[in-house]
Amino acid sequence: MNDFTIVLRSLRARWFSTLTTIVTVAVAVALIVVLLTLRNSGKASFERGAGDMHLLVSGEASSTVAVLNNVFYANPPRRPLPWSRFEQLQAQAPWEYAIPTAIGDSFRAFPVVATTPEFFSAFKPAPGETWRFAEGAAFTNDFEIVLGSAVARRTGLKVGDTIYLTHGWSKASQGATTQGDADRAGVTHDDDDEASAGPGGTHVHREFGYKVVGVLEPTLTSHDRALFSSLQSSWLMHAQDRREADAKGEVAQSTPADLIDDDKKITAALLRLISRDASDTPANLPQVFDQLRRDGTLTVASPSQEIKNLFEIIDQVNRVFLAIAIVVLVSSAISIMLALYNSMEQRRRQIAVLRVLGASQGRIFNLTLVECAVIGLFGAVLGIILAYVGAGMASGVLRQRFGLIIEPSIAPTVIVILLAVTTVLAMLAGLVPAIMAYRTSVARNLRPVA
Amino acid sequence: MTASATPRATDLALDVTRLVFAYRRSTDQGEQPFTLRVHELDLAPGEQILLTATSGTGKTTLLNLIAGILDPDEGTVRVAGKTVHAAFGAERDQLRGRHIGMIFQTFHLLVGFSAIENVMCALLMAGVPEREHRGRAKALLDRLGISRIDARVEELSTGQQQRVAVARALACDPALVLADEPTASLDPDNAQVAMDLIQQVCKEKGAALLCVSHDPTMLARFPRHATLASLADATPGNGGTR
Repeated sequence: MNDFTIVLRSLRARWFSTLTTIVTVAVAVALIVVLLTLRNSGKASFERGAGDMHLLVSGEASSTVAVLNNVFYANPPRRPLPWSRFEQLQAQAPWEYAIPTAIGDSFRAFPVVATTPEFFSAFKPAPGETWRFAEGAAFTNDFEIVLGSAVARRTGLKVGDTIYLTHGWSKASQGATTQGDADRAGVTHDDDDEASAGPGGTHVHREFGYKVVGVLEPTLTSHDRALFSSLQSSWLMHAQDRREADAKGEVAQSTPADLIDDDKKITAALLRLISRDASDTPANLPQVFDQLRRDGTLTVASPSQEIKNLFEIIDQVNRVFLAIAIVVLVSSAISIMLALYNSMEQRRRQIAVLRVLGASQGRIFNLTLVECAVIGLFGAVLGIILAYVGAGMASGVLRQRFGLIIEPSIAPTVIVILLAVTTVLAMLAGLVPAIMAYRTSVARNLRPVA
Repeated sequence: MTASATPRATDLALDVTRLVFAYRRSTDQGEQPFTLRVHELDLAPGEQILLTATSGTGKTTLLNLIAGILDPDEGTVRVAGKTVHAAFGAERDQLRGRHIGMIFQTFHLLVGFSAIENVMCALLMAGVPEREHRGRAKALLDRLGISRIDARVEELSTGQQQRVAVARALACDPALVLADEPTASLDPDNAQVAMDLIQQVCKEKGAALLCVSHDPTMLARFPRHATLASLADATPGNGGTR
C-alpha cells in the first residue's frame, strides 16, 4: 500500500463527484484540443495550397483576391490576361517553371483548371511532394481531363467516363455526365441537346465531351476539389461560343485553326524561380517581384505571404475561441475546487484518522493536492481521447459531405504541455481544499459519530 | 517521582507528570471553562489500567493529550521514553504513529477501504516498508479472526469492525494502546469477547493498555484502576502510580 492507494480510495468513495468533475475537465480539454487541431490542420492545408510556387501573376484587383481565386478556387477570376502577355512573362526572369492556368469553367460546381501538363510535372502541390495518380495519368491531349481526389469521390467518376463542362461557375450549375463510352450517344440528362442555359449566364458545353484520363491521390489542398484539362480545350470551347454568337446560329465544331488571339486567355501564371540548393527563397526573388510589379496591368502576389496574412486574420478568430476554451478550462478547475471543498466535511474524519495513524499535516496537504492532480490528469487524458474520436468523426463528416479534408493532427509536445497545464491547474485549484485539509483539527474530528 | 521502586522513566511505556490543561468544554449549560489535571500516571511495558469516569469529564481529552493531538499547558508526557510534546509537526505525528495505537468507541475505520487496507494504512503512515505491509496486516487479522480481509469495512459486522480497529491499533507494535470506550458500540456479549481480545493481544504484543470506560463490569478485568479525580490528586497511592 502507498499514498496513491489512499488517493484512489478517496476518489472512489466519492465516485459520482469524481466522475462528473473529470468529465467537466475532459470537455474543456477536448474543446481546446479540437480548436488547436482545427487550427493546425487549417493552417497546414492553407500553407500547402500554394505548393512550391514563388509568385502568382494575374490580372486580379488585389494580390489577396488573386491567391483566393487562383489557388483556393474561391471564385472564378474576373480579369484574364492575354496569352501574349504570358509569353513575355516567360522571358522576363530565369523561371524554373512558368505555368499558365485559366479558370472559368466548372463541373457540378467544381472548378476546372485549364493548364499545361507542366502543372503535374513541374509544379508541386506542396513543397517536396509530387502529384500521384490513384488511377490513370495526366492529360496529354485536348478534351482529356484529370479529377482531383474529392471530385472523384463526390461524383463517383472514374477513368474512361465522359463529362460535359459548364461555362461559368454557379453553385446551382449542373454539368452533364455520361458513364463510359457505351452511354455516350444516349440521353443522359433532362437538359436540351444543345447548350442549355443555366442560372447566372452559365451553360453546359454539350459540343465537347471530356474524357476522364486520370484521378489524383488526395493532396490535402484545394486542388483536390478541382478538375484539370488542357488550356487549348478551354480556348476551343470559348471559340465555339464566340463563333456561334457571330454567326447567330450553329457552327461546325471549333478546331485550333479557328482560334484567334482573343480566345487565348489565361487567368494566372504560377511561377517559380530557379533556386540553388533547394533554397526556397532565391536571392533574386525581391528584384523579380519589383520588376514585374512595374507593369500596372499585372497583380503580382507572393502566395506564401498572402497565405500568412490570411491566416493571421483567421488566427484572430481562433484566438478568441482559444480564449473561450481556456476560460472553460479554468472554470473546470474551479469545479475541482468546489468538488473537494464540498466534500471536505465528509473528509475531515478520515483526515483525523490518518493523522492519528501518523500522517503529518504536510502529508495530508499533499494527498489532497495529488487527488486534484489525478482528477486533472484523468480529465485531460479523457479530453484528448474525446477530442480525437470527435475530430475523427467530424473530419469524416466534413470529408463526406463537403469534400473538406481536415486531418486531426496535433503535435505530441502540445499534448504533453496540455496534460501538464491541466494537472498544474487542477493542483492550483486544490490549494484551498488542501489548506483546509492541512488545518483540520484532529481532536474535534475524532469525536464519536452517531 | 516519589517511590524508588518506580522503574526509570525511559523504561516506562507511559509516564505522565504534573499535566495541566485548561480548555472550554461544551455542557448542557453551554461552554464551560474546565481544567484537566493529572499529577502522575505511569504504565510499565505491557501493563494494563482502567480509567473510569463519567462521560464528559475529560477522558478523551486526556487520551488526546497523551497522543500528542493536544498540547498541555504544563507537565510532560513520555511514551516509550520519548517526550511527546518536545516533538513537533511531522516528528510528533511519526512518534504517535509508531508508538501509540488508538481504539475508538465508534472505531473510526477508513470507509471505502478494505479491512486489510485499514491495517496497512497504519503501517504506511508509520513508515513501515511497503513490502512488509500485506504480510504483517494479514497475520494480525488472522490472529483476530477476520477472514474477509478484502471486504470493505462497511460490509463487516460491528463485531468484525471492532476487531479491524484493534488490529489497526496494534499493527505497528506500539508501546502503548489508548482505548476510548472500546466496547460502547457492542452488545454485552460481544463486548466481553472484544475486551478479552484487546487485552490478550496487547499482552502478546507487549503493549501497555490504557482503557477508558464508564462500564462498571470492566473493573474486574483490570488489576489497576484509576479515576480522573484520583489522578488529579497529588497524594501518593491514588492509583496513578504503583
